[in-house]
Amino acid sequence: MCSNNPYIPMPVEIIKIIDEVDTHDQKTFRLRFLNPEDAKNFNYLPGQFAELSVYGRGESPIGIASSPTDEGYVEFTVQRAGAVVPGLVTAALHDMEEGAKIGIRGPLGNSWPIQFLEGKNIVVVGGGFAFTTLRSLIRYILYGDNRKRFGDITVIYGARTPGLLLYKEELAQWGKLGDIKTVITVDQGDAGWKGREGFVPAICKEVAPSPDNTVAVICGPPIMIKFTLPVFFDLGFSKENILTSLEMRMKCGIGKCGRCNVGYKYVCSDGPVFSLAELEELPRDF
Amino acid sequence: MLKKISVDKISDLAARLMDKGTLVAPVREDAGHNFRKITDAGQVDLGYYNTLMSPKSVFLPQKEDFVTYIAGRPLEEAKCIELNPEPTFLFGVRPCDVRSFEIMDIHFIGTGAVDPYWSRRREATTIFGYAFDLNRPAEPTDFYTALGIGAADPEGSDVFMILKGDELLLKAFTAKGEKILSQMDILSESGADDASYFDQTVADGRSFKTRFINIDAQAVAKKFEELFHNAQFWEKVSDGCLSCGVCTFVCPTCYCFDICDENLFGGGTRRRVWDACMFTDFTLEASGHNPRTKVYQRLRQKICHKYSYHIRKYGPISCVGCGRCTRSCPVNIDIFSIVDEALRA
Amino acid sequence: MATSFKQIEQNLKNEARALLESGRVALVLAYTRGYDDRHPLPYTAKCASDADNIIFNEYCNANLARYLVRHPRGTKIAIAVKPADSRAVVVLIQEEKVHRDDLIILGIPVLGMKNHKTDEIIDSRTTGGLYNPVLCDILLGEEITGEPIVSPYDVLAPYEAMDKEERWAFWKKELERCIRCYACRKACPMCYCDPCFIDLDKPRWGEKAPGPGGNLMYHLTRFHHLAGRCIDCGECYRACPVDIPLHLFHKKVAKECEEMFGLAAGMSIDEKPALVDFRMDDSDAILE
Repeated sequence: MCSNNPYIPMPVEIIKIIDEVDTHDQKTFRLRFLNPEDAKNFNYLPGQFAELSVYGRGESPIGIASSPTDEGYVEFTVQRAGAVVPGLVTAALHDMEEGAKIGIRGPLGNSWPIQFLEGKNIVVVGGGFAFTTLRSLIRYILYGDNRKRFGDITVIYGARTPGLLLYKEELAQWGKLGDIKTVITVDQGDAGWKGREGFVPAICKEVAPSPDNTVAVICGPPIMIKFTLPVFFDLGFSKENILTSLEMRMKCGIGKCGRCNVGYKYVCSDGPVFSLAELEELPRDF
Repeated sequence: MLKKISVDKISDLAARLMDKGTLVAPVREDAGHNFRKITDAGQVDLGYYNTLMSPKSVFLPQKEDFVTYIAGRPLEEAKCIELNPEPTFLFGVRPCDVRSFEIMDIHFIGTGAVDPYWSRRREATTIFGYAFDLNRPAEPTDFYTALGIGAADPEGSDVFMILKGDELLLKAFTAKGEKILSQMDILSESGADDASYFDQTVADGRSFKTRFINIDAQAVAKKFEELFHNAQFWEKVSDGCLSCGVCTFVCPTCYCFDICDENLFGGGTRRRVWDACMFTDFTLEASGHNPRTKVYQRLRQKICHKYSYHIRKYGPISCVGCGRCTRSCPVNIDIFSIVDEALRA
Repeated sequence: MATSFKQIEQNLKNEARALLESGRVALVLAYTRGYDDRHPLPYTAKCASDADNIIFNEYCNANLARYLVRHPRGTKIAIAVKPADSRAVVVLIQEEKVHRDDLIILGIPVLGMKNHKTDEIIDSRTTGGLYNPVLCDILLGEEITGEPIVSPYDVLAPYEAMDKEERWAFWKKELERCIRCYACRKACPMCYCDPCFIDLDKPRWGEKAPGPGGNLMYHLTRFHHLAGRCIDCGECYRACPVDIPLHLFHKKVAKECEEMFGLAAGMSIDEKPALVDFRMDDSDAILE
């Protein structure tokens, strides 16, 4: 009963906590499985998520930020929720220290469709906090021999201010690589910011990626999506070639509790990754 | 295998079943009959039309504990609760409710991850289905025939029971059913005309009338898909709806649940409990955004799930026409009328 | 002699039609036929032709006041009210959830309303026992006079004969079968809090699943939230799928409130609600 039960979390230890942003409400947690069996079985692909569990508080579905090529650990970047509805789980996580133990259920959901992406150029567009599973995808693509399987990679990532950019060191590293084009922007720069300024949709228009054999992977807050999609339509991208990842309130994460459906699909098990073509088939219930 | 027993000996049968495991049967209560775990064999009461609450709680209890933990103790000390159900006999289930188990099987164990709680309870349970009394007209709220369910359909039951005068006929339809019937020495062998009576009743059950409209699964799924953005339709059918949630609780095919950690004096339990898409905060997100703030959006979700999404995802309509939602609704909202109106829209 | 249900229905239809045609109101809250004659549905008429769908019969028990808070403030609404419902409207006006000037109250004097589950006559045992609305703009039938005035608290006699232990046992037993469906909450016109206390996580006041702790917490708290506000329509009891006599506790609290402060909720629009108003001569019994 208690092993192989999709409702029971596996124990993990927090081995590192990275404070990602200057508002200190988005942190990356690096987790290590306590049981080697669990580690072995946790095979995931970029785009998937897991339920992070804190007994006494509850569970929270968080996208996996590390790539499956990162060995020995799995990473999640968690936002401290609670501006409107008092958050329980994420607040508890943020108050924890390295060495604390929590639970994890996963990997859950579908992934960025690696096979579909192979041999193609990829434009990755991220806004703010939604960049987490995109980072997983990029790390995966850049890793060793994986890189050969994909075409040109362009990353367009924006945050409201420079302090709110996630994975700052990594972004800088990518900027130095020759086989990936990174375009980082902020809505509003500060005194030390020497990079671009501008909203993501406008930057996308500027970069104007070609739709030929290219797939756009777009993740961001609703307002960003709203203005970015028309840019890609105008550039000639088809709806099958625009992918995104949805978020809904979830509980079980395995397609049983009925909470996260959009039409006949459960975001936790049929998604969270959907192409725009798939989304158009579903009722606008989100 | 066809056996029988005199109706006034039901409590003896009940007592024998209780010796073999847990008996869950209808019991008369203040507000109506309900399925309860039997502690006194005399409680079993088959003199009812249908129970107030559906028997789904035998497989999906309103509260199912997963893990107990103590605040401040190491994570590894949290105890996962083993579920080892006793052999259970679910006695007196109407054909429409038996069908609901099959529909929910597809969701809980037939697709994706296997839900171990549902699975174990299902395996441990022997179902004694019970035909509707064909001499008694159907309640005005029932419409199970519109969903292809006959008043005396034995499909899905391990043992199916039909009343013949003051005797109860019991026929085994599965190996589980055969096993338990052969163990019940209190049952008598059936008589010469019992077998034909049984078969005739099953056949008559198929032409038994409840209120009816032609509901084709694919057609109705498509219709509701088309109607999704018709706010006027949904506002009209949800006009009086209180968005209270009674309908989902009494419904045999509603399965939404919540997983929550409930703490008490330093310890606590992670459990799942019934939830309802009709509740206002069902889809409330931590950001404060709620995709379904209006009553009509929630009612639309419920109806479309049953008559469209479930069909697209799993095949069958997620409704068995038992009429409980209509009977329990404080303002008399009627799902049959809504489906009827949608098909004509 | 009371006006017949048929006549009231006719009057209601005519008034609704006229009000919608003239544009004096944007909507009329009334009833319409459900899946059969004994099961009417609450109904919102939005244009003159909708008025043709309005009905009124002895099964039209739903308290329409509960729908008032669904509409944006300022919406001009005509609402059909029976006596208890009219008290609910008064309380909503006093609590400033709705403006008196935005309402046209269509009062219905009633004799012979029936519970559709049991066909029993609904009287002071499960409602306030009034025959005529306490506030209205247009009366849709003859004012009822000459009927016996029965106290709505008479039904409490057996309960009041119980001592504290027995009463506690009574409520524990009755609330045991609560399935936490929240029909009572939604049926009540006075329960409009969003979010309701029982839905909160921080703090969690009661467990989500039915159980002795959570059931008592939910109901006892709700009984107290309604002190001085419950207008005795009995809808909570009729909405309950397992027939818990919730109205008894509400009546008892209302009786205590009336004895202490001389006020019954919603009886007069000019009075301030008992637990909102402070008077120098307020009873100190509440401190006992």
